[in-house]
Amino acid sequence: MSSEKHLDGSRRAFLRRGATLGLAGSAMPWALNLSMIGDAAAATDPNDYKALVCVFLYGGNDYGNTLIPVDTTNYAAYAKIRQGLALAQADLAATTLSPLNTLPSGLQYALAPGLADLKALFDQRKLGIQLNVGPLIQPTTLAQYNAKSVKLPAKLFSHNDQQSTWQSDLPEGALSGWGGRVGDLMLAGNNNSVFSCISVTGDAVFLSGQQAVQYQLSTNGAVAINGISSSLYGSAAAQAALRTLITAPSSHLLADEYTRITRRSIDAEVQVRTALAAAPTLTTTFDTTNSLALQLRMVARMIAARSSLGPRRQVFMVSLGGFDLHSGLVDTHPVLMGKLGNALKSFYAATVELGVADKVTAFTASDFGRTLTSNGNGSDHGWGGHHFVLGGAVVGGRTYGTPPAVASGGPDDVGQGRLLPTTSVDQYAATLASWFGVSDSDLTTVLPSLSNFTTRKLGFV
Amino acid sequence: MSSSLVAEQRTPDEQPALHDHPAETTEAPGSMAWLAALAPAALLAACGGGSDTADSPDAALPAAFTNPPSPAARSSVMDAPVHILSAGTSTTYIPSTNELLDWAERNYAAFFPGHKTNLVSAPYTYRYYPETGNYVGLAGDVIYIYGPVSGNAASPATVGTVADYAARVQASNYPASDAEASRFLAQATLGVTDADITAVRTLGYDAWLTQEMARPVSASTSNWDFLVGKGINTDINNRNSAIGSDPAIWQRLLRAPDSLRQRVALALSEIFVVGFDGITGPWKQFKLAGWWDMLAANAFGNYRKLLDDVTLSPAMGQYLSSAGNQKGDPTTGRLPDENYAREVMQLFSIGLYELNPDGTRKLDSKGAPVETYTQDTVTQLARVFTGWAPSAADPFSAEPVEVRNPMVLNAARHETLSATFLGVTIPANTPGATALKTALDTLAAHSNVGPFIGRQLIQRLVTSNPSAAYVGRVAAAWANNGAGVRGDLGYVVRTVLTDIEARDATLAATNSYGKLREPLMRFLQWGRSFKVTSGSGDWVIGDLSDAGTRLNQSPLRSSSVFNFFRPGYTPAGTAVATAGLQAPEFQLTDESSVAGYLNYMRAVIPGNAELKPDYSAELPLAITADALVDRVQKLLCASGLQATTRTTIVNAVNAMPSNTDAAKNNRIYATVLLVMASSDFLVQK
Repeated sequence: MSSEKHLDGSRRAFLRRGATLGLAGSAMPWALNLSMIGDAAAATDPNDYKALVCVFLYGGNDYGNTLIPVDTTNYAAYAKIRQGLALAQADLAATTLSPLNTLPSGLQYALAPGLADLKALFDQRKLGIQLNVGPLIQPTTLAQYNAKSVKLPAKLFSHNDQQSTWQSDLPEGALSGWGGRVGDLMLAGNNNSVFSCISVTGDAVFLSGQQAVQYQLSTNGAVAINGISSSLYGSAAAQAALRTLITAPSSHLLADEYTRITRRSIDAEVQVRTALAAAPTLTTTFDTTNSLALQLRMVARMIAARSSLGPRRQVFMVSLGGFDLHSGLVDTHPVLMGKLGNALKSFYAATVELGVADKVTAFTASDFGRTLTSNGNGSDHGWGGHHFVLGGAVVGGRTYGTPPAVASGGPDDVGQGRLLPTTSVDQYAATLASWFGVSDSDLTTVLPSLSNFTTRKLGFV
Repeated sequence: MSSSLVAEQRTPDEQPALHDHPAETTEAPGSMAWLAALAPAALLAACGGGSDTADSPDAALPAAFTNPPSPAARSSVMDAPVHILSAGTSTTYIPSTNELLDWAERNYAAFFPGHKTNLVSAPYTYRYYPETGNYVGLAGDVIYIYGPVSGNAASPATVGTVADYAARVQASNYPASDAEASRFLAQATLGVTDADITAVRTLGYDAWLTQEMARPVSASTSNWDFLVGKGINTDINNRNSAIGSDPAIWQRLLRAPDSLRQRVALALSEIFVVGFDGITGPWKQFKLAGWWDMLAANAFGNYRKLLDDVTLSPAMGQYLSSAGNQKGDPTTGRLPDENYAREVMQLFSIGLYELNPDGTRKLDSKGAPVETYTQDTVTQLARVFTGWAPSAADPFSAEPVEVRNPMVLNAARHETLSATFLGVTIPANTPGATALKTALDTLAAHSNVGPFIGRQLIQRLVTSNPSAAYVGRVAAAWANNGAGVRGDLGYVVRTVLTDIEARDATLAATNSYGKLREPLMRFLQWGRSFKVTSGSGDWVIGDLSDAGTRLNQSPLRSSSVFNFFRPGYTPAGTAVATAGLQAPEFQLTDESSVAGYLNYMRAVIPGNAELKPDYSAELPLAITADALVDRVQKLLCASGLQATTRTTIVNAVNAMPSNTDAAKNNRIYATVLLVMASSDFLVQK
């Protein structure tokens, strides 16, 4: 949507200033409201809609058993390093990929057997794979890492900090995420800003912008407050008093923020309930025992209800936890892969059903990759990893980026197969944000380290 | 006053030798000088009138404390004692020596930092503060100060008599109202009761804390014994079912008589986190029960022991995968599991950044924070945590004690390489138990621990944004409990709860003080105040984690070792963030959970077949809305409902019938829910 000509200099300057202030934890002058500045582009086309869906894999996904080297030479290296963690080569035949691009030196990859559902989508060119992506501040070589001669992301290998870094560019304590900052840019074109950034998985900094707030839904939709919709213990007076109390502003900062959330909850619930009731019923089936599938079903239902809810650009977040497999990796990781593959397959099918497959792009993210070496039972915290991009607009059936050497202490890892990323999260995010409609000039506002990289768009969407 | 008596008593001959008081040899190297100077000081002492009548602690500081007079002005200092006993304050209360000196430490920590033990040279009782070089003490009922605090004058100064300070000491240690007592109990316990209000008002904060810390651990309601009492261990089918996990912790939280201990255990369970979903292996319910019992047992013990018990707990061992962790194998490339090594540093002891004693970050020459450890530190420390695993099941025990007993070492699986971390090197081939001791000693001795854990305890009990000075006082208490002991958690808890920043009602009235009550605590405070019992005796409350229908939080069910919320969490894009405040509990607060909480409480407040509240004390008041609202306010919202909030509730209740017991009960339910829905309650101040 937004192109350069729609953005005057003052708005860009404002956004840039906002980002700076936000990162420093300072006040934003919200009298200067983005939505008042206006953005004509989105409003011109009623069919103009796009959604970006972050699928966060909490705990740090084990890249080694997600995308497995299967050609003879590389599988041997993989099996030797992984020891008891290694998947059997014979079990990988059905998910061995034939990408449109040529990989070096006969390298062949297979998806984890649990991701069989994604193999079909890869073959249909709806799924792309970004190799070895992770947080970087600037392009970094192993020599530079070892010499500490370039700036590195803070608190590498720490869960909460790297979750935050993937989502926001900064460790824990960051006050806005790149999904929220993208949302800020879209507020003007969205008729109802409350539904610009939607989490179906609880609080995460990813969806907090300077102005955009994350609206949180349950997997069943918005939750009504019963005590204000019917008499309270038989009393209409008590019912009215409840509404008064829970919506009353307060001079106490914490109390006031609580009631602000409550007011938003009450207002949005009515809209969501009405919109979901009016939206077409999905026939695509989702596995109701799979928490990720349930979250993605809710995202699909909200997309189905988009015309009632108003926004033309929406950023969603869902998640699957349990990836911190220091132990039990052999038993548990396949289960998680199965849930991921199954949920993504249903979600893509739902977007096809809704006729928006090419307007919805889902992507995976995670705290970090893990070690390729085994600790006997699992793998430990790493850095770079492989990630998936899915949707009708995705240039799929390909891998993107540089395949890392299958090694421990090799040229691409900082020890034990902890990958030194060759693609930065900012590049990955910029590619997605650019497809979503963020202008080239705004990309560096949304993603502060992007300007340190020559390639800003990776081409997968 | 009695200074003449002091003067008469002092003769050089009576000055005792230091060796009569062994503690002095290390505690008060300068005491001789002080004692030698006492006689002339006493001669100078004179009866005083009052000149200092301000109420706030700082303003009430006698001139000699804040602005040491020149020797020439000494006589005016002698005249300083104040007389501020106001109408309604007991005029018979005289503080004990300890109460007076403790009060001086709390209110004038800049001069008398930390807690020191009493030193005695009859008839003198005093404390010495080597950090500042100051003394404060009594002879008879006359109070003396000496050192920089009195201008380094040759003679110590008297600042009045004990009676002169009685009102202020009393105000600092005895709640002046039921509401003040209730406010303290909201911080210190899991729920306010009439009995506790009476006890705190009678005993004062200090003595109440002493009484509660001395109370035996609630063995009859221990989580483990509850499970055994229910026969969970006798059915082998329960081995893999986790049945009993939630009932065991609910019954403990809702009915255990040692409410202070359980409150602290809950706080500890949110710093040293294990969660239901991440515990692997059999007898999960017994692992969690043993874990909670361990936290409760250590609540007022020493941090170093707690760190031992946490590290060797089978629950933690399986939660952070140190159970079964093996040494590296150069042949296969296998390396030790780093999970526990990382989190014990990041979360359970020293944190990510080097801290000053007041909890602020140390900065390097470029103004950047200094990281406490690197990946290499983790890799090296991981070697220490190899070889440990739960003991084998005991064939002679009917109970699965192997999931409660500390993990045991299998030396063959313990790493033999040396390990270098945090300035310490454990040599190669050091026995596993020795290596573990060295590692945990090193962590526990790190200067970060007091401010890092102490600040979180303040956040869990009192306020989300303590001042650096408050953190500093708690960290000083951590460093030394007055008897030279580091990490005395009972003393730290006492310091947290009695600190001026916890007790000062004026400060509590400011617009950023306090903390959002976590949803679990709101539910517990309701349950405890209204004496909830279990209809079945099985405490079938279940998992309250669902955000849309329940509390978004359930005890021992954090989804990760990072707890339900992070201590530094700030809700982005809000005025809270703009103000630079932290608000950890907001991590659980969203559009779904605010509704889920109200819906759940609306359903349970009247009680049901399983949850049985007792409103018998409220029923007689229900006919009078004002009395009913004030009653509920006293129990649940001691810092007070705003006038408009109170009026809204009173008017609503007045509009409800009260002609039958059923109608009166509806008034009670409405009052309780409306109070619990108000933001005055939601923020504990």
